[in-house]
Amino acid sequence: MLELLSYDFMQRSLLAAALVGALCSVIGVFVVLRGLAFVGAGTAHAAFAGVALAYLIGFPPLPLAILFGLATVWVTGVMEEQGRMKLDVSIGILYTATMALAILFIGLMKTYNAEVYGYLFGSVLSVTSEELHIILVLSVLVLGLIVLFSKELYFIAFDQEMAEASGVPARRMYYLLLTLIALTMVVSLKTVGAILVFAMVLIPASTAYQLTHSLRHMTAYAAVIGTTSAVGGVLLSYAWDVPTGPAIVLLATAVFFGSVLFSPKRLRRIVA
Amino acid sequence: MAHSHSIVRFEHATFGFPGVVALQDVTLEITSGEFVGVIGPNGSGKTTLCKAILGLMRPLAGTLQIFDCACEKLQCHHRAKIGYLPQKGTIDRNFPITVLETVMMGRYGVLGLLKRPGPADRDIALAALSHVGMLDHRHDALGHLSGGQQQRVFIARALAQQPQVLLLDEPTTGIDIVTQHSVLDLIKRLHQDLGLTIVLITHDINMIRLHVDRLVLLKTKVYAAGLPADVLKPDILSQVYGKDLIITDKDVVIVEDYHYHG
Repeated sequence: MLELLSYDFMQRSLLAAALVGALCSVIGVFVVLRGLAFVGAGTAHAAFAGVALAYLIGFPPLPLAILFGLATVWVTGVMEEQGRMKLDVSIGILYTATMALAILFIGLMKTYNAEVYGYLFGSVLSVTSEELHIILVLSVLVLGLIVLFSKELYFIAFDQEMAEASGVPARRMYYLLLTLIALTMVVSLKTVGAILVFAMVLIPASTAYQLTHSLRHMTAYAAVIGTTSAVGGVLLSYAWDVPTGPAIVLLATAVFFGSVLFSPKRLRRIVA
Repeated sequence: MAHSHSIVRFEHATFGFPGVVALQDVTLEITSGEFVGVIGPNGSGKTTLCKAILGLMRPLAGTLQIFDCACEKLQCHHRAKIGYLPQKGTIDRNFPITVLETVMMGRYGVLGLLKRPGPADRDIALAALSHVGMLDHRHDALGHLSGGQQQRVFIARALAQQPQVLLLDEPTTGIDIVTQHSVLDLIKRLHQDLGLTIVLITHDINMIRLHVDRLVLLKTKVYAAGLPADVLKPDILSQVYGKDLIITDKDVVIVEDYHYHG
């Protein structure tokens, strides 16, 4: 197993997986607590549409993925604020519409392009060192902003109106959170893919939710669970020669069901 | 009591959304050190008044002055001077948070962005918990507490802001009668001991009529404001409550109110 680490591509993919695992699970805490699960899924598909368009017109994929992702979350945020539509309805429409765009863009391509599918299903083993740099920079940016504004983000996740009433600029923080969700989706596209990235956001945070009653502990547990399942998934996928994205997600899912079975909260309820 | 000054001043203020008027032509002043009860039937604009005082709603017409600041310019550090207890039921009982973490949130708005809560903030939060008698529960999960205990924790969170005003929206709704009285006793104690201005919004007239300095009777507009004895008169109340009202010999008011969350 150790010789595995001497391969450059293996070092890159393990590092990329660890970064994405940590990033997704930390943002996931806020997504789960603020009830934004569906927003994350929608944004990942929007970002994928950006990637497809980039390949169609011969443009670098990253800027367009960011543009599509941000546009989707911001439109969702405005729609929710104005109360014209329920959040799940508006994101449901954007989610499918951007996916339709992605399929349209792929259909318009004259030749089959395997790289595009890498963004859909994830291909962490093919992460280049340039892509790793981008993942690193964006991960540090997103995690840094979360640490910087953690107290405000926790507060709006708990009770946004209360946060605003007590003097926290809650609305700006909500848009910051949406922006960070979009960036996380973009960073993770290449590693776990648009379809599965969402699991990396939800599962570690939900697992941690089963284990503790403290906000800070929940975040720490989620980060550990997310990072280890991502790294473990890469190693398993190499060892068993199975695709990486599913390996990571299924490993995380197994941990989740374990946590549900052995949740102190649940056990307490049965005893009580 | 120290020289009292104006905390909130409405002048001919109207609130609502396009096409819907929630509160009309409100002229009302609340001064420091008062214990004001705001009563009225469901849908009478009690919660709108609450949001206005918090600076979350701007008047469509007229003016609203909060502290020394016009409502439109209300800055975040002004908001922190008003400790707010929202209506019960807006809280997710399963939210993973400890009692102390909840109360620490009261410090966040005061601290402002980019500043981390330190030992001094922790001491303020612990003192707030001790004021409401919940210090021993500081490491418990919020979701494991009873309804009355949760109300105490949320009052402690408001106190952690070190506010001048405590604004309470239906603090006794949805908890049992014994707990209602102990929560009300706590609020009275905070009013006396800490010199806090109290604005208590409720549909339960009997609960508060003996405790407040002044009552404000709302139904889309201010029907009456003044001493409880002056407001709780049959001719005034019947205008607002109609047939749901019985006044007995001892001037006890019973209002049939089937719906919560006014």
